[in-house]
Amino acid sequence: MAAAEAGACGLSSGMAVAGGPAMDGPGPGPEPEPEASAAGPAMPEPEAGSAGPVVAEAPPPALPGLRLVQQGAEARVYRGLFLGRAAVAKLRIPKRYRHPALEERLSRRRTAQEARSLLRCRRAGIPAPVVYFVDHVTNSIYLEDIVDSVTVQDHINSVQQSGNDTSSLLTLAEKMGELLARMHDEDLIHGDLTTSNILLRPPMEKLDLVLIDFGLSFISGLPEDKGVDLYVLEKAFLSAHPDTEAMFKTLLKTYAATSKKSGPVIKRLDEVRLRGRKRSMIG
Amino acid sequence: MEVTHPLELFPGCSVTVLLFTGVKNAAALRKKAMEGSIEGALINPAMIVDPFQILVAANKAVHLHKIGKMKTRTLYAEIIFSLSPNNNISDAFKKFGISDSDTAVLIVLVADREKPVNLEDIASQVEGQQVSLEELSQLTDTAKVKKMYKVTPQEEKIGTLLDSIVCRMSTKDVL
Repeated sequence: MAAAEAGACGLSSGMAVAGGPAMDGPGPGPEPEPEASAAGPAMPEPEAGSAGPVVAEAPPPALPGLRLVQQGAEARVYRGLFLGRAAVAKLRIPKRYRHPALEERLSRRRTAQEARSLLRCRRAGIPAPVVYFVDHVTNSIYLEDIVDSVTVQDHINSVQQSGNDTSSLLTLAEKMGELLARMHDEDLIHGDLTTSNILLRPPMEKLDLVLIDFGLSFISGLPEDKGVDLYVLEKAFLSAHPDTEAMFKTLLKTYAATSKKSGPVIKRLDEVRLRGRKRSMIG
Repeated sequence: MEVTHPLELFPGCSVTVLLFTGVKNAAALRKKAMEGSIEGALINPAMIVDPFQILVAANKAVHLHKIGKMKTRTLYAEIIFSLSPNNNISDAFKKFGISDSDTAVLIVLVADREKPVNLEDIASQVEGQQVSLEELSQLTDTAKVKKMYKVTPQEEKIGTLLDSIVCRMSTKDVL
């Protein structure tokens, strides 16, 4: 420990805190900061500003068969059995660089949005996981686990790698377009449309799709928001899956055919495409 | 016979569900429940499609009880309230609690380390036959349940009735 500190202090003290959130203010030599305490409860932080409510970090839930599936930017996703059913537990990771009051409010809002959107999807007949339990204290949500499902991303990759039957991908694109059209017709904006947020329920040939991860979703009827939603998907699609322009085109075609309000949305999508990064802003 | 399941999020706590048919003293039981002299929630089995529905309600009730944020006064009342898709407490009791003329009763008990569950005590108070929970599906009034939870026809295509119900129960307070 001493050696590391000496080494760190020797160079640039600012750099030594690499990786951790810069909590210590302008002070002499960073103290060895407790590593991103994954499971520990939050300690009262000696912040320079006012000490607002400290957002508790939820320890992993004691579900039988618990495994950490993924750690995203927003939350840790666990799989386990909840009340006898295969479930997914999403525990939000508190962002310590945010002011605690904001963090609390944002966490709560995101969890609530997610729960609300999932219910809205269900009511409209759009496949989404069932919500089993929402914990407003830790802002965690317990949902149905779609067992043996595959993300569309993995599916496309495996089909492309195996090199056969890419026409099934076009049918998949049609299904996706139809699903998104129905979602947008409910004025529901997903907010984070990527191919890893759409699941395929087994058996894969049935192309039974399920939408997940509604943490950034909101309700809006504006073509602008729907257009941006599609644009996010387009960007994610084309960057994750090379040579899939035809797929996305089919998706949009089916979207336009299925959705009753698609005209303005597609028009808006074209406009949004002209904005983007590294695009000229001539109007 | 009865079904017991631990509540994973609350170590040490478990939920036991018992089903009785041919019940003759529903009125007396209801009175006792209102007074709080029965250590259990008395529920109308016609509104229950699966024990999982009870588990979800009990889980939520125990959670709220632990953080002191229950909407009703007792844990058992909270379980009944959690079953309801809306926020009207008296309506919840009317629809999900038992009525004087009921002949089937579902009883839910919650036990934790300090308070183990006493099945014989409860069973002795009921003038009826305890039956296995597998008979629950015969007692369910599906039409009434669909109406109560306002399940849409599109919804029935993407999941079971139980899925729709559980979703509404758990997101009731966020809406």
